[in-house]
Amino acid sequence: MTIHNLYIFDRNGTLMYYGEWNRKKAGTMNKEEEGKLVYGMLFSLRSFLEKISPLDLKDNSFCYRTSKYKMNYWESPTGVKFVMNTDLSSPNVKDLLRLIYQMVYVEYVVKNPVCPMGEYIHSELFAQKLDEVVKSSLIYTSKTS
Amino acid sequence: MALPPQSTSTTAPPDELPLELLHGELIFSGILLSKDKEGDINELLSKLEFIGFSTGYRLIERLLKDSTRFKDELDTIKFICKDFWVAIYKKQIDNLRTNHQGTYVLQDNCFKLLSKISATKQYLEHGPKFLAFTCGIIRGALSNLGISSVVVAEISTMPTCRFHITIQRAT
Amino acid sequence: MSRQSTSSRITADSKKVNSELFVLTYGTLVQQLVKDYESVEDVNKQLERIGYNIGLRVIEDFLARTNYPRCTDLRDTAEKIQAAFKMYLNATPSLSNVTADEFSLVFESTPFGEFTELPDACANLKYCNVLPGVIRGACEMVQMDVQAYVIADTLKGDNATEIRVRFIKKLHDALPAGED
Repeated sequence: MTIHNLYIFDRNGTLMYYGEWNRKKAGTMNKEEEGKLVYGMLFSLRSFLEKISPLDLKDNSFCYRTSKYKMNYWESPTGVKFVMNTDLSSPNVKDLLRLIYQMVYVEYVVKNPVCPMGEYIHSELFAQKLDEVVKSSLIYTSKTS
Repeated sequence: MALPPQSTSTTAPPDELPLELLHGELIFSGILLSKDKEGDINELLSKLEFIGFSTGYRLIERLLKDSTRFKDELDTIKFICKDFWVAIYKKQIDNLRTNHQGTYVLQDNCFKLLSKISATKQYLEHGPKFLAFTCGIIRGALSNLGISSVVVAEISTMPTCRFHITIQRAT
Repeated sequence: MSRQSTSSRITADSKKVNSELFVLTYGTLVQQLVKDYESVEDVNKQLERIGYNIGLRVIEDFLARTNYPRCTDLRDTAEKIQAAFKMYLNATPSLSNVTADEFSLVFESTPFGEFTELPDACANLKYCNVLPGVIRGACEMVQMDVQAYVIADTLKGDNATEIRVRFIKKLHDALPAGED
């Protein structure tokens, strides 16, 4: 199992953080442009999913998969959006995203008055704690394909 | 004199949060700055210190048991390092030094109001703003216990900080 | 260190120290603002403003702790705000006059009441004005635009302190910036 990268957007679509662990192909554009593209696609996809869903969507999470990777989306009730690319075999990514929200975002952004809400997160402590949580997750540590 | 090490918990009880958030607002919202002196760091620090002083002065009255007596100045400072610090910051001061001539240095290796901000030198420039309120709390508490002092703080690497208490003796 | 201090010299109700520290700090802040600002209206405004900022952050902690799902209706919202007051301020407001788009939180004594008196010559001071600000900020983060204001205050001789909350409209996520 593999974690490739993570985007965090605030409720207005501002890219608040980007981190990568095993991104095997460098992006072709800068992070800001890439963030806009990802957010725009997610925004459309989510409203599409809501419109055509035969069930009441309560979960605020979804994923799409290609033949190579899976994009996992989870949104906090306050509209903070966590988007993580993993390989196809990684299970329960949304639980990891929720954990990142609870243990890292709330603790080291919301409770850090130096971090303005809704702006890019420059805190090194946040990055360090995020890295710890990601690297201790089963998805990261497990060696199964 | 080393005090025993303690563990720090990850998720604090919810009722600690309102003060932390209010403290953050005092620092960054500009509410304490008069309009014509916007961004005056000294005005901010002295108001934070005063709010801390007034709070510490009144808080100590509510916390102390009626029977409490302090043996001497050192005993009072030790009380600040232990019971008082635990009451407000949920841990003891990690190290206390004194020259036995009225100067005390209290070191907290993981000061609560810095612990979410940085574990390096990042944001060090904001450090003084996060310590002024607490300098005031210490000075206020001591003042109500009959000890007049000057309290300043320093940080080298977050979240460690030192509070220097200098006792002012009547001459 | 010659002597060990075995028993704490702090009173038994030191559990309350978190809220006391908050209440005392807030009280000192209000005194300071009354001194600093020319008009009491400005003080009220400033208190509401920092409350709003606090609300933007406290809601994240509340939701992370509780894992509550989205509110089903306004009564549900009201009950969650009630739970949050208990959790963060150890205050227990009751709900009253709940309608489809309004409700009141009623405090028998203000959450700041125990040690509080209004500064002199401050009849128009809304001492508790941080609280409606917190409610407004917190609701905005869960896509609810609300108005909140203090309509009764024990500090001014009312029987209870009452905060009225009115639902205005649901907010939507911003559309992504257009791709050129």
